[in-house]
Amino acid sequence: MKFPRKLAALSASAACLTLALSGCGADAPKSSGPSGETGKEPVTLTIATFNEFGYEDLIKEYQTLNPNVTIQHKKAATTNEARDNLTTRLAAGSGLSDIEAIEVDWLSELKQYPDKFVDLKDPAVEGRWLDWKAKAATTDDGHLIGYGTDSGPEAVCYNSSLFKAAGLPTDRESVAKMLGTSWDSYFDAGKKFVGAKTGPAWFDSAGSVYQAMSNQLDKAYENEDGSVIAADNPAVKDTYTKVLDASTKDNLSAHLSQWSNDWVAGFQSQKFATTLCPGWMLGVIEGNAAGVKGWDVANVFPGGGGNWGGSYLTVPTQSKHQAEAKKLAAWLTAPEQQIKAFTAKGTFPSQVQALSSEALLSQTNAFFNNAPTGKIFAERAKAVGASPFKGPKFFAINDAMQQALTRVDVDKSDDAASSWTKFLAAVKSL
Amino acid sequence: MAVTDRVRLQGPTGGSTDDGGRSVRRLAFSQRLSRWDVKISPYLYISPFFLLFALTGLFPLLYTGWVSLHNWNLIGGQGKFVGFDNFGFVLGQPYFWNAVGNTVSIFLLSSVPQVVLALLIAAVLDANLRARTFWRMGVLVPFVVAPVAVGLIFNNLFADQFGLVNNVLQAVGLDPVRWHSDQLASHLAIATMVNFRWLGYNALIFLAAMQAIPRDVYEAATIDGAGRLRQFLSVTVPMLRPTVIFVAITSTIGGLQIFDEPRVFDQSGLGGADRQWQTLTMYIWELGWGQRNFGRASAVAWLLFLMIVLIALTNFLLTRRIANQGDRS
Amino acid sequence: MSSIPMIRQSAGAGAARNAERRLNRTGGPGRNNSTQRNDAGRGRGGAVRRPGVLTYGTLTAVVLASLFPLYWSFLVGSHDSTALSRGIPLLPGGNFLANAAKVFDSIPFWKAMGNSILVSSVTAASVVVFSTLAGFAFAKLRFRGNKALLVFVIATMAVPTQLGVVPLFIVMAKLGWTGSLWAVIFPGLVTAFGVFWMTQYLRDALPDELIEAVRMDGASMIQAFWYVGFPAARPAAAMLALFTFVATWTNFFWPFIVLDPSNPTLPVALQLLQAAHFVDYSVVLAGAVLATVPLLLLFIAAGRQLVSGIMQGAVKG
Repeated sequence: MKFPRKLAALSASAACLTLALSGCGADAPKSSGPSGETGKEPVTLTIATFNEFGYEDLIKEYQTLNPNVTIQHKKAATTNEARDNLTTRLAAGSGLSDIEAIEVDWLSELKQYPDKFVDLKDPAVEGRWLDWKAKAATTDDGHLIGYGTDSGPEAVCYNSSLFKAAGLPTDRESVAKMLGTSWDSYFDAGKKFVGAKTGPAWFDSAGSVYQAMSNQLDKAYENEDGSVIAADNPAVKDTYTKVLDASTKDNLSAHLSQWSNDWVAGFQSQKFATTLCPGWMLGVIEGNAAGVKGWDVANVFPGGGGNWGGSYLTVPTQSKHQAEAKKLAAWLTAPEQQIKAFTAKGTFPSQVQALSSEALLSQTNAFFNNAPTGKIFAERAKAVGASPFKGPKFFAINDAMQQALTRVDVDKSDDAASSWTKFLAAVKSL
Repeated sequence: MAVTDRVRLQGPTGGSTDDGGRSVRRLAFSQRLSRWDVKISPYLYISPFFLLFALTGLFPLLYTGWVSLHNWNLIGGQGKFVGFDNFGFVLGQPYFWNAVGNTVSIFLLSSVPQVVLALLIAAVLDANLRARTFWRMGVLVPFVVAPVAVGLIFNNLFADQFGLVNNVLQAVGLDPVRWHSDQLASHLAIATMVNFRWLGYNALIFLAAMQAIPRDVYEAATIDGAGRLRQFLSVTVPMLRPTVIFVAITSTIGGLQIFDEPRVFDQSGLGGADRQWQTLTMYIWELGWGQRNFGRASAVAWLLFLMIVLIALTNFLLTRRIANQGDRS
Repeated sequence: MSSIPMIRQSAGAGAARNAERRLNRTGGPGRNNSTQRNDAGRGRGGAVRRPGVLTYGTLTAVVLASLFPLYWSFLVGSHDSTALSRGIPLLPGGNFLANAAKVFDSIPFWKAMGNSILVSSVTAASVVVFSTLAGFAFAKLRFRGNKALLVFVIATMAVPTQLGVVPLFIVMAKLGWTGSLWAVIFPGLVTAFGVFWMTQYLRDALPDELIEAVRMDGASMIQAFWYVGFPAARPAAAMLALFTFVATWTNFFWPFIVLDPSNPTLPVALQLLQAAHFVDYSVVLAGAVLATVPLLLLFIAAGRQLVSGIMQGAVKG
């Protein structure tokens, strides 16, 4: 079973090396249209994704367009599994696929090791993505680690039936106006809602609110030189205090931990009126809130814009077919292909051209009161500003922060002050 | 157990010719061969295990030890040699000791009831039942239920706000228990998950041992006037001593390494926002795959290994003493 | 001592026949004082006692609790995705076949099942053979370092496996086995638990006299093992085989790390059913139930053999 594959892999990589040496790598990947390279040796590429990228049909299409290429698609169920797998194989020094999909959250760490990933910089894909998307994957030296695939621009999803019961406006435009463009106005609207004493809370979890707020800061946990400032940065402490005040003192939070059983059940029992939702969350809400009527999407986001999630395709230097992999990655992340993925699985594009495509802008969502979700999220995507610098310890510090918030908001085992002390201790131990 | 001794002694004079007409030619060469056979065979027979272990167990163990002596980032690779710094650092972390406490607590909460309940279930299964196979195989079913199903079920049962157990408690008028916030409550819930999986299996092990106890011992005890309970405590349990020791050792070693159940207890898999139920293996995972600090994770792994050896040994001595006391009475 | 006539009188001819069969199989009467494995289940105090309501009641409760999760999985799997969030009714819905079809469509179910069967069978067989061999040596043969090595074997169970993933992966990569089923089979070929288990069993189940007798007849060590040791170990070996089969079948993490998606085992393939932002747990649990079916069949088929094996395994340990 293993020998034939080994032979095939050996011969394929030998062939590609020869071609590469003879200038195969000089091929600039075209962003659209058939590549039409004939006379190439057969190549097997492996691509590792997770969750739902919507690539199944696209992979078949690429294989038809490039008959010498066979693609094997490896899927991990969750991002955590994919991350563990990637980490193990990076540590072992072998076993990675030719294209590895990564999440935006992992970038801060992986950018520390640009030598493990092929520099995908290419004039042909210049300007393809929204600024903030491409910048996140570029190191200081200009080394582009990954091509952006989808993104997670956020809007505010709300339950209009709960709004109605509390005497608040229910149509999208009025709601957008009421929620306003700042966090203060969002919280004020919340206080009004909770003041009507209809029972439900304003938002589901302090954690998601904090995540959105901290992503709009100039500086978060680390300086560019790598020093950790989480403890001293007043912006961090302020955001922390503000979120917890809103959650506990003003009682705006439903005290649920996202993705937990209670959170899922909370949709059915209508425990909260709004939630900050990126595009990919719509399917989740629809599934969890099946049978509940009244959900809608407002074209607004406190603080301007927010992004949660989004992936990139990288080519690890372990790959034996770097040029071919780069070509495939460029093709998959082209606006046309991303639109197809969007149509298939709802992954919201991060490519500039895709945001003005007809297929995208005309999309509506029946569960959300036929909201023009394509248009809404396209506008939200454009409204995303720069995100703070994320150093190598960002992931770990952010986790510690989320735990600190959970302790106060969900577990209620600590108050804000003692939880903050524990957060500081955790940061120190990193 | 000195089989080989006796055979060796009788070798030269061993009765081969006058054994019911069997004629085995005994040459000096084959005698020598036989001696070699006796000497080498044991090592040959145990070698598959040790060979395999050398590759898949010893190498990882030594590798981990090597890593623990360096600054080692999981992705970045080997860094500076730091000697025992990692160990010192880890031992000074409150989260480490928290994990130790959690591990021991969950272990005690799961192993002790397991052994006791398994004994009781085995006693019940020991009776003269109809459809014996059904009952005995029935208690083994939890062993094959998929972890994802177990995780879903128990999360549904023990959810803080909408879980079934809390609903029942509230219906009866008691306060709901904060399974995911309170440390001890989380341990109880996780211990329940562990017990659920392993109870049937351990019960069958004990049942086997019980079935082997000769009935005349019980008859004698009855004649002496001992009731059922007395017989259980003074006859059954002492005669189960080796089995109890076996179960104690294996469940100690397994129990201190509990990983899957606490991981599925919530969606982040970290062990709770305040590490309420983070076991040592989860702490290792967090250090290694979360913080990418391979060096520190390896240090904790070695400390855990030493801890398991120590506790298993203690458990062994303790169980032997307890079972011995039962013997004397 | 319970003799055959007594068993016939108290528990009937069938039980007597069974006892007789067992007696003959294990090498004759008067061997050990616990030869009469009393599966006729005579109650304490000598008199035959049919268990009462309390016994059956307790047992029913225990078995119900054991079977409940399986039933619950089937329940959810037979409804749709709203089942978990809206509360599951107590009776199954009609959706199971539709969900099963989804399972077969989304993942390479049959291939994964084939792989799992292969991996589990090979591993179980190998563990039984090598563990019995090693157990025979530790239990019955005298050699230098016997005790120390046995303790070492037990100590190897204490090695935490989490970090071993990386060096083990390195080993597999060097051998060129990443992606092939061998990477999953190889590390499991002999287990410390198996060796410990067989040692403990053979210590008492295999009388020294038997081995001496056969050795005096001129048998070599390996012949002694094959003709005497292995048959005596059969009941415990059957149990070890079942246990190893199940444990290997449900193993997830290492196969996930080392295998390719074109060649998964069943738990790895099933995990893919959760690859979505919104997970349809009814399909996931339908898949879980389907994955358990072969194991249940194994239970039923081997149940009787294994039950008596369990009964005789770990006996007089």
